[in-house]
Amino acid sequence: MEQGSEVFRALADPTRRALLDSLFSRDGQTLNELCERFPEMTRFGVMKHLAVLAEANLVLTARQGRMKRHYLNPVPIEQVANRWMSKYAARFAAALVALDDQVATDQERETVRKAEPA
Amino acid sequence: MSLPAHVYQVYIAASPEQVWSAITESEWTRRYFHTTSFVERPRRGKPYRTVAADGRPAIDGVIEEMEPPAEGSPGRFVQTWHTLYDTALENEPPSRVEWTIESAGEGLTRVRLVHGNLDQSPLTWENVRNGWVWILNSMKTLLETGHPLPPVRADERLAQIVSS
Repeated sequence: MEQGSEVFRALADPTRRALLDSLFSRDGQTLNELCERFPEMTRFGVMKHLAVLAEANLVLTARQGRMKRHYLNPVPIEQVANRWMSKYAARFAAALVALDDQVATDQERETVRKAEPA
Repeated sequence: MSLPAHVYQVYIAASPEQVWSAITESEWTRRYFHTTSFVERPRRGKPYRTVAADGRPAIDGVIEEMEPPAEGSPGRFVQTWHTLYDTALENEPPSRVEWTIESAGEGLTRVRLVHGNLDQSPLTWENVRNGWVWILNSMKTLLETGHPLPPVRADERLAQIVSS
């Protein structure tokens, strides 16, 4: 979770970046409002891009009465950035190394278990 | 002009109970929330006040909801939000912060934060916009690694407020 792959995939597309720009300048837009801002795209296209952004935790939806509003969630973007910022990176690197060690240990155990005669 | 709410979400590799403690208990908040802690243990329906480590007042308001997470039902912590650490912000009316803490699978918790009722508080709206991102990531890092984010950015932000 949140190693960043989904975030990078979501940000790789210029249309999705434009959608985030639109929410950054005016947060809490409905699907209709977003569609009006992107007349060159079909409603289905806008929905598809929003789904990818939601999957990456970059766009959140919240109901307000009958309206469903879309909000930019910048939290994962800062996580991605912190990973390579020297002041923050050590902790992330340490956590990743610890995770890697754990996985390696688990794999060794598994290998040993399999090698033991039944 | 109507100002939209801020809505944030973060996934944390910890149990909903651990996240609940991190939000509602001073022993945790002072480690990731710019050193602030609750003057008195927060209780539903009661006023609350938080202070920084040096004793300076930070935030006050009322705890409107306080329901810890339980099997099958999300935790809810709702507080009105009135800033005390800056005069301009202090002059704005209270807004509302709603935390929802929900299990997202084994050992994983989804935290959603909505900071609304900001229509009459444009300075607070601008001030907390990036502030919450840092707080949520610092809380995540503390719960997952045992250490909060280094306090550098908070200091920079405070310096911005002071100089502006």
